Amino acid sequence: MQAIDLSIIYMASFAILLVGYLTAISSKDLIRLLIALELMFGAVFMSLIPLFSAISNAAFGIAIITIFTSSSELLVLIAAIVTLDRQKKNVYTSSVTIGGDKV
Amino acid sequence: MKIQNVESMNVEILLLLALAGVAVLSSLAVLLTRDNFYASLYMSATLIMVAAVYALFDLQPVFVLIVFIFVGAIGIVTVALAATYRFAPERQISGLWALPVIITAFILGFSVYTTQLISPEKIQFALENFITPEYLLLILFLTALIILLMLSVLKMGVGEGGRS
Repeated sequence: MQAIDLSIIYMASFAILLVGYLTAISSKDLIRLLIALELMFGAVFMSLIPLFSAISNAAFGIAIITIFTSSSELLVLIAAIVTLDRQKKNVYTSSVTIGGDKV
Repeated sequence: MKIQNVESMNVEILLLLALAGVAVLSSLAVLLTRDNFYASLYMSATLIMVAAVYALFDLQPVFVLIVFIFVGAIGIVTVALAATYRFAPERQISGLWALPVIITAFILGFSVYTTQLISPEKIQFALENFITPEYLLLILFLTALIILLMLSVLKMGVGEGGRS
């Protein structure tokens, strides 16, 4: 792996992570939030690639942990979407009124 | 022989650039599209491109994990969910966000351009060295975590159903 490969991978990973953050903070419904989280995990997967050249077994372990973590997180978010839909009859984030600061 | 090596290196860099470029563009499409259904499809495309970069570096086990488990299961559930809750969307993002994004990208690009990156070694990965009792224990714990989460989600669903 060359330095230029490393640069391309990190730049692309950063760009995807940034887009994920932007999507998350601009999302108005939980489905979009779920999609944004998956994008962020995609960026994490991409940034793991250079780690395979130094500590490949540990990197594979981290990749597996990332997949399990993301699966668990998405499972909980999907359950939250279904529960919110049952209670509020919509999936908008604005309908969640408990918690958070008011400026 | 040396020229052949340089040519294959260039092809590899071009391929990596193309895959990373498509991944970034499809992630931008997620941000810009108004429909959640199309956003989820673009998100799946981004993840497949990320997996293709793994395949380019000959990391087949991770490619299989991402494509079949991450995209194949979780991504498709998201697509199905987005298709179920499909509604007329509003504009999701303000154009003012473009300014901090451009500034950050410029700073990052400049710092990468001016920094001498250390070339890492060639990737050599074999799955047979990975299967050790420690990692098996880790996978066992993570599977237990998923089962516990699923049980609590099921309990939540049954509780909600019982009340309604």
